Amino acid sequence: MSAGDFYFAINATFRFIHDTYGKDVLIDYWTSMAHEYHAAVAARFREGGLAEVQRYWADYFAEEPGGDVHVGLSDMGVEIDVRDCPAIRWLTEVGREIVPYYCEHCHYVSTALADQAGMCFALTGGGGTCHQVFSLRGDPA
Amino acid sequence: MIGVQDFIGYYDWTFEYLRRNYGEQAVHDYWLRAISQDSQIHARQLIGAKGFDGMREYWAHTLTAEEAGYTFDQTNDYFRIDMFDCPSKGHLIKRGLAAYHDYCEHCMGWLKPLMDDAGFIIDHEHNHAGQCWWEMHRVTDRLTEPPPNRGPNDVRNLPNWQQERHDVYLNSEHLEGDVGTET
Repeated sequence: MSAGDFYFAINATFRFIHDTYGKDVLIDYWTSMAHEYHAAVAARFREGGLAEVQRYWADYFAEEPGGDVHVGLSDMGVEIDVRDCPAIRWLTEVGREIVPYYCEHCHYVSTALADQAGMCFALTGGGGTCHQVFSLRGDPA
Repeated sequence: MIGVQDFIGYYDWTFEYLRRNYGEQAVHDYWLRAISQDSQIHARQLIGAKGFDGMREYWAHTLTAEEAGYTFDQTNDYFRIDMFDCPSKGHLIKRGLAAYHDYCEHCMGWLKPLMDDAGFIIDHEHNHAGQCWWEMHRVTDRLTEPPPNRGPNDVRNLPNWQQERHDVYLNSEHLEGDVGTET
């Protein structure tokens, strides 16, 4: 299990970039991270398809501290049902002020990841509960 | 999702993102404002209120959570950490990650301003291989040279201590040149 206090730094990093350089730069930071730091993950998705996407996220959320997230493969694609986001829970429980755009990183990072893998990504919800879908291009996600 | 399990990897990448787009000073501003004054506000509160005892309380929690290899040494005059297996640098070494040119510098980047504000000075040395030592003294207890060997737990006694480049800080100031301490 990982050290949950690192969520403090993630939240603070978003605030620093947003307040210093603006929202456009924060979005660039997220998409650049997906294209550079996560390039190997995108390659795994591209080569392994939706089965690899499912495997990756199931393993990933199993290693995060706390939360309640179900990852499954359906006709829609890989559906990630975040019933209790580990990051939002950790930050909320210790009373940290969560930046209002915190949840947007999932949209921008995963959209860029999916795009590199020839997939689509959709997200609804936020604030601790959301529904995310990775699908093959052309599928009705 | 950006989670905490691979935080160290993109923390290092973030330093380089800021450096290449906004310069080296932007990285130091990030360590000050985002990490020292925001993310680690709980460390500031503990150390500001309890001094050496607060340092022990803070690092006992965080180094245990990160599964570090370390020892503490506390006296009336200093609080010391000997890190023989840094989980943070170790994570990068094991995965061959080195986006930023000086990952280890981030610790001084956020700790120096914290200790400045709390009334402490830092004596410190790291070897860029996951090993370092730290001594925090009251600002009135300045040293004229790095502290003497502190006994069997002193990381400087390790046979592989003298590897990689060494950076040394005395009274919170970086010493220039090849100044690694021999013990």
